[in-house]
Amino acid sequence: MARSRQEVLRILEEWGKRVLDQIEQGQEPVLEIPSRTLSNTIWDPVRRLLVLGPDKMKRRFLDLKESRKFMQTMLMLKLIVEAIRENVYPTIRDLYYNGKHTIMYVDPKGRTFKENTWDDQQESNAVIEDIEVATGLLREEMGLSADVKGKVVGPIIVKSRGFEIDATRLGDAALSLPPNPDELEIVKVEAEYVLVVEKDAIFQRLNREGYWKQENCILVTAKGMPDRATRRFVRRLSEEYKLPVYVLTDADPYGWYIYSVYRSGSIKLSYESDRLATPDAKFIGVTASDIIDYKISDEYVIAATDRDIKRAQELIRYPWFQSDAWRKEIQLFLKMKKKVEIEALSTHGLKFLHDYLKDKIHNKKWIE
Amino acid sequence: MVSFSVKYEELSPAEWFRRNKELAGLTNPTRALYQTIREFVENSLDATESYGILPSVKVRVAYHDKSRGWLSVYVEDNGIGIPDQEIPNVFGKVFYSSKYRVRQHRGVFGLGAKMVILYAQSTTNKPVIVRSAPLGSDKIFEYVLMIDTLKNKPVILSRKEYENRYRWHGTAVKVVIEGEWGRARRRIEEYLRRTYMVAPYAEIYFEGPDLVLYFPRATTKLPPPPKEGYPHPKSVDVELIKHLILQNPNITLREFLMEYFDGVGRQTAEMFLKWAKLDGSKRVGDLTEDEITYLTTKMREFDGWRRPRADWLSPVGEDILVEGVKKVLEPEFVAAITRKPSSYGGHPFIVEAAIAWGGKIPPSDRPIVYRFANKVPLLYDEGSDVIKKVVDEIDWSVYKVKFPAPLAVVVHVCSTKIPYVSAGKEAIADVIEIEEEIRLAVREVARRLRQYLTKKEKEEEVYIRYATFNMYATEVASALAFITGKSVDEIKKKLSELIIKKVGPELASRLEKETAKIAIKETTRR
Repeated sequence: MARSRQEVLRILEEWGKRVLDQIEQGQEPVLEIPSRTLSNTIWDPVRRLLVLGPDKMKRRFLDLKESRKFMQTMLMLKLIVEAIRENVYPTIRDLYYNGKHTIMYVDPKGRTFKENTWDDQQESNAVIEDIEVATGLLREEMGLSADVKGKVVGPIIVKSRGFEIDATRLGDAALSLPPNPDELEIVKVEAEYVLVVEKDAIFQRLNREGYWKQENCILVTAKGMPDRATRRFVRRLSEEYKLPVYVLTDADPYGWYIYSVYRSGSIKLSYESDRLATPDAKFIGVTASDIIDYKISDEYVIAATDRDIKRAQELIRYPWFQSDAWRKEIQLFLKMKKKVEIEALSTHGLKFLHDYLKDKIHNKKWIE
Repeated sequence: MVSFSVKYEELSPAEWFRRNKELAGLTNPTRALYQTIREFVENSLDATESYGILPSVKVRVAYHDKSRGWLSVYVEDNGIGIPDQEIPNVFGKVFYSSKYRVRQHRGVFGLGAKMVILYAQSTTNKPVIVRSAPLGSDKIFEYVLMIDTLKNKPVILSRKEYENRYRWHGTAVKVVIEGEWGRARRRIEEYLRRTYMVAPYAEIYFEGPDLVLYFPRATTKLPPPPKEGYPHPKSVDVELIKHLILQNPNITLREFLMEYFDGVGRQTAEMFLKWAKLDGSKRVGDLTEDEITYLTTKMREFDGWRRPRADWLSPVGEDILVEGVKKVLEPEFVAAITRKPSSYGGHPFIVEAAIAWGGKIPPSDRPIVYRFANKVPLLYDEGSDVIKKVVDEIDWSVYKVKFPAPLAVVVHVCSTKIPYVSAGKEAIADVIEIEEEIRLAVREVARRLRQYLTKKEKEEEVYIRYATFNMYATEVASALAFITGKSVDEIKKKLSELIIKKVGPELASRLEKETAKIAIKETTRR
């Protein structure tokens, strides 16, 4: 894949040049950007992943609703071009800080208009994603990195910048994934499977309790919603080493959506599902029916909030949640209006988590 | 049978009023000072504008004896004046009034002034000094008077004549009363400010111990003076009928109806007499008490009378009201309406309303309400006033008003008889006909405010679009210049052209005007 940095720069500059051409010809500047909305996210049942649909939105500078985003897109484009020209590799947070400043305008009535170029990182991240889909360049290609939350431990040896790291020899620590895991060379893998857990606390417990040694598996966590690097890394383990991937999350709609992001991709980044999704990933729990099947005691059961219910109602409509098993689970959730966290698996003693995982994995009690 | 012998003590009207001064609002030194100024100023305005004279009123309050809390109050006008021989009775005899006619007045029969003189007498025992010259008089007359409360008669302490070299006309009065300036100060200021709001054709000068106010004449337009007329037959009461019969007991009932009431001709009189089963040829002086009561009741019940005429009313008028509100509130926008005359229980009335927005009006959580009855500002008892009720019931969001808002509502009710809630005369009662007219008037001006706000909102939208695009354009131009290596200024210029084209060329000319205005403001500031 990798395009040269020169090539990337040329594509970005050309994109800017096209905007300038419109202005010089006296036309209203308009950016065409594939829209990253639910309605333009298509479920590809054959490849079992979310892909970006054909819809494009026109971002017009002279449309009051779009003008600010137009300005932000141009500002971000400038920041990225600047970084490449100066051969630096900023994080997306760096770009947020570099670009954040107050712009001002004094109108003819003497009133002052003041605004920040962007108020939070969500705004600046959104335009980076827009630039990615509009130019067809990935942020990794542009040399941008994000805060990577991903951690790995288990029987795997990787090589980064010439240094070999053996993930079995880290004690209670773990291997932090780099921003671009494609630059990580996987030297050796001797695992049976990959277990992805939603929460860092559970990851640490399983690590300390030697779960991966007993099971000869690789443990991964992204501390909640997975970032691109973690997803890419899990995908590589599945694709390149054919390892089965199992996902463990809380039993609530947010946890279940996290599983679907690992497996199928996200609505926001559907243009990247192709390289980030792991279509074979299985969900082992915690499911709504586990609350009954594993007799989780009431003290661990939490009443679902209105937001949870609303989110579940959204999930059940997503095309990638249409398997019988998933429909059954979500309907059960909507009926019980109860949720539990992974920690609820301590209901039968702390060791029970291990028994639960082994039962689920070895007895193939998963859903997809 | 047991019989009681009751000893009646005859009370002269003057004595009665002296004992009941609370009724006139003369309850404490603060209120008394305020009331004194009100009574005199209102008489002055009636003596001028009702006769087509542009009012000039001077008021002076000074300490007469500070240690005893005695203040002198002097009020002078340029009105029609009072004939020499009438002066003692006008100021020294309670219930002195020549005719029993109706028309819109601020005060009623000049009763307030006499109450003030009685109050002065009972607190400082100082006489009133009156100086007056009728129109065209070559003399000015000066009286020093007191009231003999037991006999209800003026006591003339001195009478002087001066040569009227400058053909002055008007009346000047001075009393010394027990009063409290410090506390009355703000009230008096507010009273004068509001009085001027509905009478911007007046020139009012006020001088107090530590306050000088001057309200210059803002317009020379004067509302047409009210005509004087007879009461409407539906508006009568037993006392009035008796009083009228006494004036001319020898006429027949038919003649009586046609002579003394508004809009009663032969035909209407006959219709009424037939309906009420009354004998029209009977001499009114021969009517018994019961017959008088029956007559009164029937007159009030009869539906065949003509509508009361509004000729006796003198509304401020839309133009003058706008002028006054502008002058006092200095708003950004003002609209006013004078409704068509209407009536309740035989009393004609007219409602006027003005709405003022923005400018120097402070934003508040509710509309600021300015209430007026017969051009007199009502300052107290807002809570029980029908005007306040109507204004509060209005859903202002319908008119694009979001509170807190700089909104003032002015309502003026004028009538030959204002239905006050209480003797204090500070609130208008909830009469359904009046309430409805107030509602219609306020809604009408509110609609005009909405039109204004809508227009302004649209202009503002264009402005905001223009400003926003320009603000972003700077950023876009600098980004594109960096990426492409072209000149920032060139790009900015092209973008500015595109913005003007998009936002609308008519804005460009407006913007130029605004820029010019700012330039002027800044020069004047320097």
